[in-house]
Amino acid sequence: MTVGSQIGTGNLRPEMTNDEKKWVEKELEEQIERYEIIVKQMEDLTKEREEWVADFLKRIQTRGFHWHAENKRVISKDEVRPRDGRPLQVVY
Amino acid sequence: MARPHIEPFVDRDVDFKNMDLSGMPNGIKYKILSMDTDNGACTLTVQYDAGFKQPPGFCYNEMEIFIQEGSLKVGDKLCLKGHYFFVPAGKSLPEITSETGALLLIFYNFGPPSFQESDENHDNCDPSKYANVNSYEGLDWTGNALYPATAPGCLLKMLHYDEKTHGMTFLYCMVPGFWQDNISYHDCAEEAYHIWGTSWMMQFGDLPTGGYFWRPAYINHGCFKSDHGILAIGRTDGDLHNHFHHDPFSTPKENAERAAARLARQRPAMYKWILTQDHNHVPHDFENPDDHVDPTQSDTAQIINPDGSHWP
Repeated sequence: MTVGSQIGTGNLRPEMTNDEKKWVEKELEEQIERYEIIVKQMEDLTKEREEWVADFLKRIQTRGFHWHAENKRVISKDEVRPRDGRPLQVVY
Repeated sequence: MARPHIEPFVDRDVDFKNMDLSGMPNGIKYKILSMDTDNGACTLTVQYDAGFKQPPGFCYNEMEIFIQEGSLKVGDKLCLKGHYFFVPAGKSLPEITSETGALLLIFYNFGPPSFQESDENHDNCDPSKYANVNSYEGLDWTGNALYPATAPGCLLKMLHYDEKTHGMTFLYCMVPGFWQDNISYHDCAEEAYHIWGTSWMMQFGDLPTGGYFWRPAYINHGCFKSDHGILAIGRTDGDLHNHFHHDPFSTPKENAERAAARLARQRPAMYKWILTQDHNHVPHDFENPDDHVDPTQSDTAQIINPDGSHWP
């Protein structure tokens, strides 16, 4: 799915011109570079993120977990799924 | 059709480029925020130079425009920051000028940018879908009517709502001190751009002014906070349901399976009917008999990798 309306014809010239194809190809190459930079930046945050996650798991077992709007409930220890060595991947 | 997971990206970190695509008017600079790998649909930060002038004309594909800074004169109408336009494919806009220049966000929904000089609509245009509003002055903030909802202090202004897909474009804000202690994911892709302010997510850290993400379905995000508040514009490609949970390590596949299990519990009759009626095609909708949107055929990719592989 792409964003945008399904209530009308979204593109009246779906076949790209040669210029458009070249422009899109170049921009997609740059998008891959941008993606790789993001992956590296997010890897660099790993240590801080592990601390943020530990703080989150502590907070929901003390202050509470927002399950709807302002409604919170405290999560019991046995409701917290064990990590069991699972990685913390954030970019896919 | 899909875009890769771009999150987070801050447009202030890169320079503008001159728009050199043939047919486009002079005086346009742009930064690509994300692009669909199949059809070239894209989201751009755009700068119109002071003195910009574009003759009457249309874009071949549907687009949405939001004025962040500066002003545009569209025909006789002066449009200031906060103005939003939904422009159907082939809808001719009158002459557009900008005396002082303008910083825009432009969404090209089904293809790359294009411009055809014309003072008439394309023959196949449906101009009835054209809409524009100054979202800062013409719309009120509303609470979040979703269930389950985000924490209090996250407010919305609906800019565009697709009656078929429930995809939407909206302004949202977080009040200073906003805090939401849960992890969320959705069945739809989500895109957002920070017009002003910084928010924080447990996975991605700070997202400041100019911060952007395109996030495919089923990817964890949150918990959330904003110390000083934010103003942002967001979009989805379908119905936005908040699947809240508290497992920071769940994967998109696990999240999708959980969402399907919840559907089976909450709509058992429909779930069973879909599974058991030998449907290898999208079921017929008597209200929309000509619909040909088939996610099993053309829009399967939720998460795509740089090498083009994707899941599912």
